[in-house]
Amino acid sequence: MSEVFLEAKHISKSFVGVKALDDVDLTIGRGEIHCLIGENGSGKSTLIKIIGGVHKADSGTITVEGKQLSGSQAIESIRSGVQIIYQDLSLFPNLTVAENISVNQMLESNQQTVQWKEVRETARKALEEIGEAHISLDERVENLSMAKKQIIAISRALTQNAKLIIMDEATSAITKEEVDHLFSIIQNLKKKGIATLFVSHKLSEVFEISENITIIRDGKKVGVYPTSELDHDRLVYIMTGRKLEAEPYVYDTKMKQKSPLLEVKSFSKELQYQDISFSLQPGEILGITGLIGSGRTEIVQSIFGLNPADSGTMYMNGEEVKISNPRDAIRHGIALLPEDRLNQGLFDAQSIGDNIVITILKNFLKKIGLLDTTKQKRSANDWIERLKIKTPDGNLPVNSLSGGNQQRVVLAKWLAINPKVFILDGPTIGIDIGSKHTIHDIIRDLAREGMGIIMISDEIQEVLDNCNRILLMSKGRIIKEIDDARTTTSEELYEIVTGAASAGVEA
Amino acid sequence: MNIKQLMKHNETYILLIILIFSAALTMINPVFLTLENMFDLLRSSSGTAILAIGVFLVLLSGGIDVSCTAIAIAGQYISVNVLIATGIDSIALAFLISILIGVSLGAINAVFISIFKLPTLITTLGTSSLYHGLLLEVVGTKAVNAGDLPESIKAFGKIEILTLTRADGSSYGLSIFFLILVILLLLTWFILKFTMVGRGVYAIGGNAEAAKRTGYNSHKIQFFIYCYAGFLAGVMGVMHISMIRYGNPNYLVGTELSVIAAVVLGGARISGGTGTLTGTMLGVILITILEKNLILMGLSSYWQQFFIGVVIILGVSITYAQNKFQARRNLSIGGA
Amino acid sequence: MKSAAMLRLVTFKNPKNKTLFIIMMAIVLVMALAMPSKFLTSINIQSMASQFPEFGFLALAMMLAMITGGIDLSVVAVANLTGVAAAKILSASVENGTPAGTAMVMAVLAILVVSALAGLANGSLIAFLGVPPILATLGTQGLFMGLSIVLTKGHSISGFPEEFMVIGNGNFLGIPISFILFLAAAYLVSVLLNKTQQGFNMFMIGSSPVVSKFSGVNNTKVLIKTYMLTALLAGLASVIMISRANSMRPGYGTAYLLQAILVVVLGGVDPDGGFGNIPGVIMAIFILQITQSGLNILAFSPFFKKFMWGFALLLVMVLNYLLQNRSSRRKIRLMSNDTKHTDTGETV
Repeated sequence: MSEVFLEAKHISKSFVGVKALDDVDLTIGRGEIHCLIGENGSGKSTLIKIIGGVHKADSGTITVEGKQLSGSQAIESIRSGVQIIYQDLSLFPNLTVAENISVNQMLESNQQTVQWKEVRETARKALEEIGEAHISLDERVENLSMAKKQIIAISRALTQNAKLIIMDEATSAITKEEVDHLFSIIQNLKKKGIATLFVSHKLSEVFEISENITIIRDGKKVGVYPTSELDHDRLVYIMTGRKLEAEPYVYDTKMKQKSPLLEVKSFSKELQYQDISFSLQPGEILGITGLIGSGRTEIVQSIFGLNPADSGTMYMNGEEVKISNPRDAIRHGIALLPEDRLNQGLFDAQSIGDNIVITILKNFLKKIGLLDTTKQKRSANDWIERLKIKTPDGNLPVNSLSGGNQQRVVLAKWLAINPKVFILDGPTIGIDIGSKHTIHDIIRDLAREGMGIIMISDEIQEVLDNCNRILLMSKGRIIKEIDDARTTTSEELYEIVTGAASAGVEA
Repeated sequence: MNIKQLMKHNETYILLIILIFSAALTMINPVFLTLENMFDLLRSSSGTAILAIGVFLVLLSGGIDVSCTAIAIAGQYISVNVLIATGIDSIALAFLISILIGVSLGAINAVFISIFKLPTLITTLGTSSLYHGLLLEVVGTKAVNAGDLPESIKAFGKIEILTLTRADGSSYGLSIFFLILVILLLLTWFILKFTMVGRGVYAIGGNAEAAKRTGYNSHKIQFFIYCYAGFLAGVMGVMHISMIRYGNPNYLVGTELSVIAAVVLGGARISGGTGTLTGTMLGVILITILEKNLILMGLSSYWQQFFIGVVIILGVSITYAQNKFQARRNLSIGGA
Repeated sequence: MKSAAMLRLVTFKNPKNKTLFIIMMAIVLVMALAMPSKFLTSINIQSMASQFPEFGFLALAMMLAMITGGIDLSVVAVANLTGVAAAKILSASVENGTPAGTAMVMAVLAILVVSALAGLANGSLIAFLGVPPILATLGTQGLFMGLSIVLTKGHSISGFPEEFMVIGNGNFLGIPISFILFLAAAYLVSVLLNKTQQGFNMFMIGSSPVVSKFSGVNNTKVLIKTYMLTALLAGLASVIMISRANSMRPGYGTAYLLQAILVVVLGGVDPDGGFGNIPGVIMAIFILQITQSGLNILAFSPFFKKFMWGFALLLVMVLNYLLQNRSSRRKIRLMSNDTKHTDTGETV
């Protein structure tokens, strides 16, 4: 590595309930293309926010070009040449391309008035610098594609004399061609001495672009390696930290019924997914994996009635069912644990008990139409006990719990309806490793008792360890079905998923 | 700009409605389309238009302001009473006092909204009651008759920037109020377009989080917005009394509904970030035509509030229903 | 019923209510000490108890909308519209010599129908079309108030049957009937909020409409019902309003809108939705009424009161903001301490 540009040492950070980072180091050389990889919830985002001065580390130091940052001011990081492009890009949808690119420059120069000529000039130069001069300066940003928006965000970073651009999950919402284009831009920046920290969990891209790779797992740094010294298998091994103790889930074929518990036939929805068919038997844990944007979340939300499909039919135990809203789904015994626990799964500030009983409130209605609150409380407490939710009192708000316990509340809320089919979308996102195992155990027990389970996960290893059958999705289609999870390895699966994404399978 | 692009703009639709409406009114009564009637319309709508500029700014930043009329009446009533008490008969002083009061009261709004982060509706409901109550309690409730009104104020309302002569030799003209409105529109346009504070208004309305990340000072911007809205209300207050030549501290308060209606009809979204001054002015014109011509349409003035309600409901229903169905088409509810 | 409510007051499940109770007692004490001969007289207490119910109903209405995270700016306008409808029927009955009983039943029916329709209009705009509650009810406020003006041409309607006036002016065992009606309504609202599915779902929608949708709640239905109940309470306010005054003048009670928002916020209802309880709101109403009569006795002008309510609303909101900031900081500190234990306990 040539000259060091940025050095982060011994960074630790805890948030309410979770230790997000534990003694992590990161070093980036001038003009280096460095990758930071790790699974969801491993602490990648927290680390870059600390580097950007958005969060303050509990301990540790950050040095840029030999000067130590105070570590609590975004402006200080920006002045030292660090620019972060967040996943949400921080653009103003209602303003033009020119203004979005030049806004930092305008603010930085402390001018009181706007010289539109200069604004356009700055924007034009920035776009030219990365070879994108063809983008109209007067277009409103809300009318641009995701890839173009990204280019706007990069151009904006360039106006600030950036020496290091941090891109958080930059490729999650763009096509392969656009990714290639982005990479040529990054290579170009390197020639100008601008370093890039590329945060991702798509391995093929990581290999294609990076010079060095820092891997973190569960908030700890696992290691830093020159990309040339690694291959796919080894990286996956290091990244997922395959847990040898995990027994794969074995499906008891005796549970198989003549007509499957759930069958989906040629479900399609414009712009989301095409021609999806699969079936689920009682006792099965069916894994669905694929990158973000592969359509996996959309399809399960359709099954649950949140996002009705344009066409296709659905059967339960051989009979056709129509599900047009979540109430229909619940009536048929389908439950969905959503991907975004905080925004979709839990009433953050409401009590643990109320969060659990919301799905079964009808059960507590007395003859006169009033709720039997004693029974309601008792039921909530039963579930708290059954799922071993750690709380002194069910009346406490759910946000007083740790991530793992919060997820158990969501599990309890859905188990309460006694579902036949339980869809779990990212059941262990943002949950520490100990709780992860417990949640896996609960899921397996449920399957053994005859529930049909669909489990979506980003983590190939999690799917492999816990599912007996796996569907791989890419760009809205099922590209492969693996009938026996024991016959495959995580390396192979990674290859298929990322390979398909790179090959640009037509959607 | 071709027709397809034109049809994308909210303004086009309001303009069409105004034209259809005007055509209908002209058919009922040809007097509607005379220059004299137009001048009269411009004179009487200038006040609402000026308040609407302020409310537009607030909406652009993602807030709502129901205190503008209370501020305007406070500026008006206090400045006129000061003029009468001191015997200084100066329209300039009246404007100065009224503007000072407007800006100060706007700053108080900003303290609650920016520093204490209170919801804008509840804040301005509260301050509106506070300002108006204080005005009536401290300054009084006595109406100011034309006879007691300082000459300069009465004279100001009669100034015409363009005078035309009727066939019978009498004259009519375009009031100075229109000129004031045009100047304030240009000033506001300039601020919004060419100053960093003005761009900040769009920025915090479009994406408040990003505005903070990029380094906009949202306190400064919010103080500017509410002080500027107060300034406009101050100007409007004096204009209003010189137009009707009668001062009553209970006037204006209660008409904020039509001001907000005008701005919302003009295409500004309550969620902030979108809307134009042109749209706002068209909204004002539509509301004014509606208010002033009910009688021409054969309806008594009792229908006024009813119609404003109907127009607001239609306006917001169309806007938000469009939104809702578009959102449903475009994307899965995942992110919602 | 009353003892149950009192019991709940005394046990203070909600710490905010304790503060409210202390404030309320302090104000009573100050008033009693400052003007012992005027304040603590049975006449004054009786008059206080008969003054606030019409406004109390509006506050209950506002509370329901706010619990779901909305607001209803049209409550006073709805009360006006239903008041006009009822007043027309009642005054016509006096002129035509219709029996008072029949007229009263018809008037109450009219109030129920009109308020249900008004609530349905609000609820549909908000739940079906997705119009923000502020704008939807701002529009319907104009519509309903405008309609009451159109129907009366701006004049007041007066002259109702004697029997009807008892509702607003009569006493039962020395207790004003309107006060009894208010307590009954407050009790029913409390049952609605704490003991029914509708009430439960209202809190949840106020907390997060997305999560409630993901949990199988029919948001549209719950919201429409909420705004219908809100309008219904506003309609009931008009019964007391017109019977107390023996007349209905369109535009009556516009000051109540601000006061309703004030007491609801003061009573601990979260303007962002999801939280609120009846004892808190009742105490806030009492506080407002006691202060109001105190100011009356001390001969403060209505303008000063207008100022006071604006001031009090802002003060309460600012205090809430400051207290919340402090307590959330403390909560995070506490939480990070005890969750650390559970974490280490869990980690394998």
